[in-house]
Amino acid sequence: MSDEIAYATIRELGTRYRKRELSPVEVTSALLTRIEKLDPLLHAFVTVTADRALEDARMAEAALRRGDENPLLGIPVAHKDIYLTRGIRTTGGSALFADWVPDEESTVVRKWREAGTLLLGKLITHEFAFGIQFPGHKFPAARNPWNLDHVPGGSSSGSGAALAAGLIAGATGSDTGGSIRGPASFCGIVGIKPTYGRASRAGVMTLSWTLDHTGPMARTVEDCAFLLQGMAGHDPADPASSTVPVGDYLAPLRRGMSGVRIGVPRNYFFDGVEPEVQAAFEEALGTLRKLGAEVRDVRIPSLHAAHSFLLILLAEAYAYHERDLRERPQLYGEVLRERLMSGALITAAEYTQAQRIRSEICAETAAVLQDVEVLATPTTPRSALPFTMAHDPEVGFVKSNMAPFNLTGLPTLALPCGFSGAGLPLSLQLSGRPFEEGTVLRVGHAYEKATAWHTRRPPV
Amino acid sequence: MADTHELTLDELRDRIRAAGVPIPDNRLAMVRKLLTEALAPVRALDSRTIRTVEPAVKFVPKAEE
Repeated sequence: MSDEIAYATIRELGTRYRKRELSPVEVTSALLTRIEKLDPLLHAFVTVTADRALEDARMAEAALRRGDENPLLGIPVAHKDIYLTRGIRTTGGSALFADWVPDEESTVVRKWREAGTLLLGKLITHEFAFGIQFPGHKFPAARNPWNLDHVPGGSSSGSGAALAAGLIAGATGSDTGGSIRGPASFCGIVGIKPTYGRASRAGVMTLSWTLDHTGPMARTVEDCAFLLQGMAGHDPADPASSTVPVGDYLAPLRRGMSGVRIGVPRNYFFDGVEPEVQAAFEEALGTLRKLGAEVRDVRIPSLHAAHSFLLILLAEAYAYHERDLRERPQLYGEVLRERLMSGALITAAEYTQAQRIRSEICAETAAVLQDVEVLATPTTPRSALPFTMAHDPEVGFVKSNMAPFNLTGLPTLALPCGFSGAGLPLSLQLSGRPFEEGTVLRVGHAYEKATAWHTRRPPV
Repeated sequence: MADTHELTLDELRDRIRAAGVPIPDNRLAMVRKLLTEALAPVRALDSRTIRTVEPAVKFVPKAEE
């Protein structure tokens, strides 16, 4: 199979389908063969749904013959394994749900199915979107296609690995503290965490109610725009779902960068950033300026307390898992069990103070976003960690450049902006005003068109 | 000098007893580090000085059709 098909964009696939140069059945068969060859190395998939994918492909061919113009028709995708799929095992990456076959599906899964996507399978996630799989876990951890000894990031680890390896064209992810953007950064792909409430979380396993977001992952900004368009919108089944009308995410991509004001919060986001990440970021700012953006430094003082995010996450995650932790603790993975239990040790007053800190960060960030449309930062302070470091339980939670945007709920995009000396991807993070995903995608698309980072392929 | 915001092992054991959760001894160091990090911003905070921004219910009127 040629890389041309494995790495085709959503627009390219749609164009070739409609010119009858390629068919969804051909693409599905080719990708299933590629998965069979590469996934034993990558462990991106928990479940491959070959029969379902071929059935979807045949239905897509019929729809194409009828003249169906949906841009997601015939697009090969897979879902993070915390998204419920009717009739297909949904494990949450955990032994607790190792054989669970739901009789319902999440809203996002339904939307993409109804749009005509081809479901190739379910993608491994860190256990319950939180705990990396240690050796001996029920499900092996996904590996990074750029270097198999390195993590692909998490928790949407399978989504990142499968996209980077050209096994699918789009995937779902979820993001509580960076679980879409981290794998996007480490795997050299693109992911967007939309505004809190923009995409439904109904039928998606919970980690932390007030921080959880769902969103798409792909290899280009435009592909993310297509996929987000297919998942965004109000859903009464998600209590946090917004009724704000959904914008057109594709139209802004044609507008370019001129006149956009970009703020760079110089405090917090650059603490502990590796020099090669800093250099790639500054070069990206230079490109954005050349494209017509006005770039200026800004300051969000309360970000020094952003790590309070972890307190909120631990307390809410414990609340969600309490019953199972007490009744079936042996089914949780090593280390994750104790991390989750630590949420029981937080007092109500401490949780409340963390939420007050969060409100202050939200207020200060909103004030900064009165003067600029977009904030730019490095997505992660370093490239992908080796497994040897990630498997050290004493390493703890490093300071996150992504968590502030879970606290604030702002739409945030991660996209490739360079490579480390060791050949691992580096990433640029762009955040915008609430519900202005279009602006963030517009800036990301203009940057992507001016650079070639997204065209590099991993050595697998 | 010891970090005044650090969670001591005694304090951690007190919290474990109060919560009634079983955390084995070989994970105490990990949990202590995790909680110390998570609690640091709150412990550094003088709750009297933070602005009166609070988590609360917000009612947003429905937009006109």
